[in-house]
Amino acid sequence: MEFLMAALIGVMFAAGTYMILRPSLIRIVMGFGLYSNASNLLLIACGGFAPDWESPFISEAAGTLMDPLPPDIILTAIVISFAVSALLLTVAYRVYLDHDSDDPEKLPPDSLA
Amino acid sequence: MNPHLILPLLIPFSTAILLAFLNGFPRLERALNLASTAGLTALSFWLLGEVDRGGIQAMVAGGWFAPWGIAFVADRLACIMLCLSSSVGALALAYACFSVEPRQERSFFHPLFQLLLLGVNWAFLTGDLFNLFVAYEVMLVASYGMMMVGASKRQVRQTLKYIAINSVGSTVFVVCCGLVYATLGTLNMADIALRSAQLDGERAALVTAVSMLLMVVFALKAAAFPVFFWLPDSYPIVPAGLNGYFAGLLTKVGVYSLLRMFVLCFRQPGAELVLQVLLVLSGFTMLFGVLGALCQWEIRKILSWHIISQVGYMVMGIGLAAAGADVAFAAVAATIFYVVHHIVVKASLFLIGGIAGRVAGTQELRAMGGVIDLAPGVAGLFLVAGFSLAGMPPFSGFFAKLVLIRAGLADGQLAIVLVSLVTSLLTLFSMAKIWAYGFWRASSLSAPLARHRALMAPAAVLVAFTVAMGLVAEPVLRLANDAARDVVDPSAYQAAVLVPVPAPGQPHAAGEGSAR
Repeated sequence: MEFLMAALIGVMFAAGTYMILRPSLIRIVMGFGLYSNASNLLLIACGGFAPDWESPFISEAAGTLMDPLPPDIILTAIVISFAVSALLLTVAYRVYLDHDSDDPEKLPPDSLA
Repeated sequence: MNPHLILPLLIPFSTAILLAFLNGFPRLERALNLASTAGLTALSFWLLGEVDRGGIQAMVAGGWFAPWGIAFVADRLACIMLCLSSSVGALALAYACFSVEPRQERSFFHPLFQLLLLGVNWAFLTGDLFNLFVAYEVMLVASYGMMMVGASKRQVRQTLKYIAINSVGSTVFVVCCGLVYATLGTLNMADIALRSAQLDGERAALVTAVSMLLMVVFALKAAAFPVFFWLPDSYPIVPAGLNGYFAGLLTKVGVYSLLRMFVLCFRQPGAELVLQVLLVLSGFTMLFGVLGALCQWEIRKILSWHIISQVGYMVMGIGLAAAGADVAFAAVAATIFYVVHHIVVKASLFLIGGIAGRVAGTQELRAMGGVIDLAPGVAGLFLVAGFSLAGMPPFSGFFAKLVLIRAGLADGQLAIVLVSLVTSLLTLFSMAKIWAYGFWRASSLSAPLARHRALMAPAAVLVAFTVAMGLVAEPVLRLANDAARDVVDPSAYQAAVLVPVPAPGQPHAAGEGSAR
């Protein structure tokens, strides 16, 4: 299970990096989507797994409870990455409308204009 | 348990909500925004006094106890940063109220400013690594909005790059939070210091590797070498006045986090490796920053590049903390003093550069000139602030560099001391360039293009502070020394945060935390 998870996270980060390095704004935004999902998976893996762990909501259970903190962190991270992705998508669209191109290399260099 | 520790967060937050509803009534917005920021400044100084007299104060949310609940901690370092953030914020806002374009002011300028204050104050006060991540995000999202306020083509285009760079940083940050929790079983900063000190062997090396990753995140926010390239493109587009606050505070949040995490928190055997890497990076940061500044011709761009080289000095102080306790103490004290000096001087230079640009109609040095005839007061302010940045006596920059270089010599790090001195000389050259081209040359204008008297007041306050800090350096040095003592030795910090849990009604905690 650990190997499977590690391989999946690695592939997702690699794919995300590839997308971010493409010369296309929409692919860059999608790359960040992959990044945030890969980091969420990594957080799940950080909490560890065992089939007999129980959910942390049942306080009187005799078995081992799973650690509630990693899911907690993931929830916060999902909300934040959702908001930032929405913003990034909007800004990317606006840049496309302004400059009629979604190739970041075709954008004009920084000047006072 | 001090509930008032949450006030520096609650005040900007509630003001931001109120201001969002007042959008479209500029006079009311300005009055409320200025009043709230002034109140926040008063509160920050009161808190600094309290902490200076009574020691570190901590608050844990929800009535929980420290490693489980989310902690807010005010030590001297956090309070110093809080005072700088709110007072420089108030002055930058006062400047911006005179100079902001109506188009920008209508685009939620005032609420965004309060949200920015919220994020920055939060980053200073939090005592929890994941909470620090959330604070960074609040600060970043507010700064994205602030950069695009008014939404010109250039602003949107440059902000896109800034968002992209910082999103990569945030992804790595959240991954680091997970890895720190997986290796140490805690995210509370006092608890990280406690647990990492007990590690040895393979586990300690693992924690060092994770902390190295975290160092990259903070170095990106602080604009240290080799991840500084985003800064000179993004800061010049911030609305006038507010770029003083951006230049002063935002990169310093990264420096503060480096100080907090790598001097206070990570104490495993081998932790000094990260500091040694930082020391090497600091030399490159100083040189690249100042060399970048030399080939620029626009005042705001020159000043932006100088932020990078100045961050190098602060990172150098943090890097010197790898040495023995005495040197580490002196180096951290020097870093804190430098941060205070830098925030004040850099903010004032951005404000003065803005005024000079308005007076002469351009910030392009080859096209401007004669500001000394058009506005002699502005030229005087620039001369003082520029000399202070370069480290000339009797201004604060001289003492900041003096204590830092003495710490470097005490550690025998001659190479880095040499680099810092060369950088200082080149900074003086760069300031002289702005002076010679922008201020001294004959101008084609016969009268200033814009009114500037009211704008000079906030800049004059900051310049007065750098002069005062140079002439009477002792109180600030004393405060920096006391603040450094609490950072280098974590015992007082831990005692304030990790109070013993009373036996009855002990809160239930799951996971690794329950082992304590």
